[in-house]
Amino acid sequence: GPGAGPERCPSAPLSAGWLPALQFVRRGSKAVTRHWKAMHFQRQKLMAVTEYLAPRPAVPPRCLPRRKETLEEDNGYARLLQRQVEEVFRDNRMIAVCQYNSMPGEDVVLMRHYLRKHDIEVKFVLNEIVRDVLSQSKYKNLLPLFVARNILLVSREAKAKEMLRVLKGVPQINLLGACIHDTILSRQGVENFAKLPSLEAAQGQTVGALALLPSQTSSLLQRGSAHLTALLDQHIRRLQAGETGSPAEPPPAQSTEAH
Amino acid sequence: KKMASKIRVVLRPVKSILVRFCPFESNVESTRKFLGYINHKKIQATNRNCEVTADVRHDGSEPLVDVMFADGERLIMKGANLTTIEMLTALGSRCSAKELKEEQKSKKKSP
Repeated sequence: GPGAGPERCPSAPLSAGWLPALQFVRRGSKAVTRHWKAMHFQRQKLMAVTEYLAPRPAVPPRCLPRRKETLEEDNGYARLLQRQVEEVFRDNRMIAVCQYNSMPGEDVVLMRHYLRKHDIEVKFVLNEIVRDVLSQSKYKNLLPLFVARNILLVSREAKAKEMLRVLKGVPQINLLGACIHDTILSRQGVENFAKLPSLEAAQGQTVGALALLPSQTSSLLQRGSAHLTALLDQHIRRLQAGETGSPAEPPPAQSTEAH
Repeated sequence: KKMASKIRVVLRPVKSILVRFCPFESNVESTRKFLGYINHKKIQATNRNCEVTADVRHDGSEPLVDVMFADGERLIMKGANLTTIEMLTALGSRCSAKELKEEQKSKKKSP
């Protein structure tokens, strides 16, 4: 009951028979009034001390100074792939970039087989790796090609004709462009390159074209003496065939003077 | 976000699809991805007779998708400012609309 005072009963729970340490005396008005009644000073102090302090909202992370993202902590696997791509670009004189749309597995194997016969290798590449490598090399203009799934067809010699022939039978691979002998070509460029004659034929054609003018000059120079020889031959034949002696004398004299 | 592989496209009413783009341009990504998606075996399985051709050019023209339907209708999508998903949903909705029409017609014919 109320006569307990500030004693505490250790066995019972706190709320059972415990009275508050401070008991307020009724003076004048009752405890519950219609007007706003000021609290007792001690109660005021208690309320002030036990006021609720809202926890400060944490600073949103975007206001904090940004931590430098450690990019050097590169994936070892990514570095390996980059090295492989660099090697590919260094060792091969023809690198063709094609778009790869999903193909059934046997078709992939078959295509690889046919290309291998012409010493063309098929390499599947990841765009992020290749973009990193290309942006630091001289092949910057190949960068826009590398979106969506791509493969590289690489070869030491530039066997464009055979590659085009194999690719014609595979509709799911679309040739986008190529880098042949460090020259970037579009698809049309590759087709034109494939139509070019071989190196020996081209050399023969050049030699023939170059030799045309001197041969014309030499035939021009020799025309005079050739004409003379022809005339003399005709004359001899006429002498041998006919018996006229006097008209034979002036023509040889005239032509030797003309020289 | 919608996954492009979740969009079902039934290619039965489609006769041919031509995808034209210049790979060296910078606005071709969505068109190329579109080409990759319609070549997927699930979509190809809906219609084996549909021919998908890719026209690779180097003349600075816009990326283009030209769809010829079996009933003569033509859908041209200029992919320069479209995303892949938009193109796939556009094609998918038209294909399903045509499919419904076909089914209704066949139901009317054979009651």
